[in-house]
Amino acid sequence: MKKFNDIFIVDDDLVFHFIIKKLFEKCNLHFNTKYFMNGFEAIEEMKRTNQAPDLILLDINMPVYDGWQFLEEFKKIKNTFDKEVVVYLISSSDDISDINQAMCYKDEVKRYCNKPITMEEFEKIFNQE
Amino acid sequence: MRSSWYSNEYLLEEKNSFYRKLLNHIPDLIFQLTINSADDFYFSYVNSTMLTFFEISPLEISQNPTSIISSRIFPEDREGFFNSLFKSKNQSIPWSYEFRVQIGSNDLIWLKVDANVEIVDGERSVFFGRLSNITSIKERELKVIESEERYHFALEASKSGIWDYNLLTGEVYFSKESLQIIQCDENDKINTNSLWDERIHPDDLDNYLNSIELHKQGKTPFFENVKRIIAKDGTYKWVLSRGKIIERDTKNIPLRIIGIHSDVTLEKEKEAQLIANFDIISEQNNRLLNFAHIVSHNLRSHTGNFKMLLNIIESDDHQETHDECFNHLKTTSQALSDTIEHLKELVDINSTIIHKKENLNLSIYLNRTLTILSKEIKDNQVEITNTIDKNATINFNPAYLESILLNITTNAIKYAHPDKKPTISYSFIVQNNRQMLLIEDNGLGINMEKYGEKLFGMYKTFHKNTNARGIGLFITKNQIESMGGTIEVESKVNVGSTFKIKFNEEV
Repeated sequence: MKKFNDIFIVDDDLVFHFIIKKLFEKCNLHFNTKYFMNGFEAIEEMKRTNQAPDLILLDINMPVYDGWQFLEEFKKIKNTFDKEVVVYLISSSDDISDINQAMCYKDEVKRYCNKPITMEEFEKIFNQE
Repeated sequence: MRSSWYSNEYLLEEKNSFYRKLLNHIPDLIFQLTINSADDFYFSYVNSTMLTFFEISPLEISQNPTSIISSRIFPEDREGFFNSLFKSKNQSIPWSYEFRVQIGSNDLIWLKVDANVEIVDGERSVFFGRLSNITSIKERELKVIESEERYHFALEASKSGIWDYNLLTGEVYFSKESLQIIQCDENDKINTNSLWDERIHPDDLDNYLNSIELHKQGKTPFFENVKRIIAKDGTYKWVLSRGKIIERDTKNIPLRIIGIHSDVTLEKEKEAQLIANFDIISEQNNRLLNFAHIVSHNLRSHTGNFKMLLNIIESDDHQETHDECFNHLKTTSQALSDTIEHLKELVDINSTIIHKKENLNLSIYLNRTLTILSKEIKDNQVEITNTIDKNATINFNPAYLESILLNITTNAIKYAHPDKKPTISYSFIVQNNRQMLLIEDNGLGINMEKYGEKLFGMYKTFHKNTNARGIGLFITKNQIESMGGTIEVESKVNVGSTFKIKFNEEV
């Protein structure tokens, strides 16, 4: 099992932030978690601290930088961090064009999960390999 | 010359007998006809071939020449026959006439009379002449006329014209129908290739020249091309041209091309209409798909939140958690209501209800908008430039016009550049026959490369502005499109944005 320490939640929905928090509590998971309202804020944070988290839960539809723009920017800087960053796309979109676009980021994105995220899926993210 | 031992008398007798034999045995019908000053006429001579042919006796013809002749001539040709005879008598000119005769119940026979006239004693006109049977020539001629007419009517019915192009001289014969397509006639003296070619629409010229060249090189069995040609009234007509080289010289250089023209303007217009309809349908279909996508995505995100929040409540007994979840459920519920409200607005705009269009004075509506926003304009020291003609009107829905002006102006103020004095200018121009409203600001601008495609999307926001909802431009676009217009934007980061609203009406 891969051990995550630092986690970014990138989603413009505050309710989703709350739900993630509660899921962590419920699963008794304790991470250093940072919450962002859009992709731009998350990229800025990485650039500012010169640090990347171990795991990013990324929404697609967000203002300023959406999920795709975040991934484009992330591609440019990911090699400056000497660790593997796991990205999960978590979106309520089940549009085929979004799922196809996610395939274009095979090197960055581990999996595409649909909202609402279930307990099982949530646990799977943290309990694999 | 005959031998000298013949006496003159003998010679004369010999000659007469020779001519008599000749006249009576040649197959032509020979006659001599005399008309006196009272316009009575009689045959002073007819050869025996003629009597046999007409089945009359020498007595009959000498007693009653007029009626015997009349009875043999086909009734329709009688008048013409006598008219032409008296015409040449009166004018002393050679008589020539083609007419039909009917002998008994036999088929009609075409005869042609050729005779010279001589005035004898100053009062009698004497015709010397012959009749020849031209039935077979006439039949051939009629066949040619018939086939030409058939061809002509076929072309006329198909609205086709003919052209005949001499490649050596550049001369072209254009038939009446060809010229009619472009509202011209022979008086316009369009008789060379260059005079025709210079009327071709510049966009169609290359293609046309190319198809002629391919046929000249023998690469195509026919020349075929559809192009626009300018007519006399300045409009363009679509002309289909088909032709074939019919003559080449020994070096295989083409000398002559003949072909047809047809006016396919109506078909082309129908085709354009069809394409336009197809575009409308595609556009509507896209909007429908987009709408389905919006509905699914936006409703799902809220229902997803409900589901996840309820899961938490179910599996957590803490009152504190329940209270927090309750608050989030309220937020989600409100967001869902807002979304449904927006979607309802969208459905209203795109529904089939015919939106009332009125002639609206653009300046009045703009001034109203600026009054509504006067506090924001003052607080932000926005400089407004308005060059819209006071009398400019557009045909539009009044509520939509208000909403559009308010939305774009509000955006321009909201996204003003912090280092510049904000300016917004409004202008109204006509471009390519379409009215266009331009709203230009010097604000933050939008990175078109990154956001261009999404600018008018639902719930898309691009600036770090906390009160952006991402609904305004989406509604604006839908309102404009429902009125048959379009909206475009040109923008540069830190320079500003120009919104261009094109209206549907042609000027």
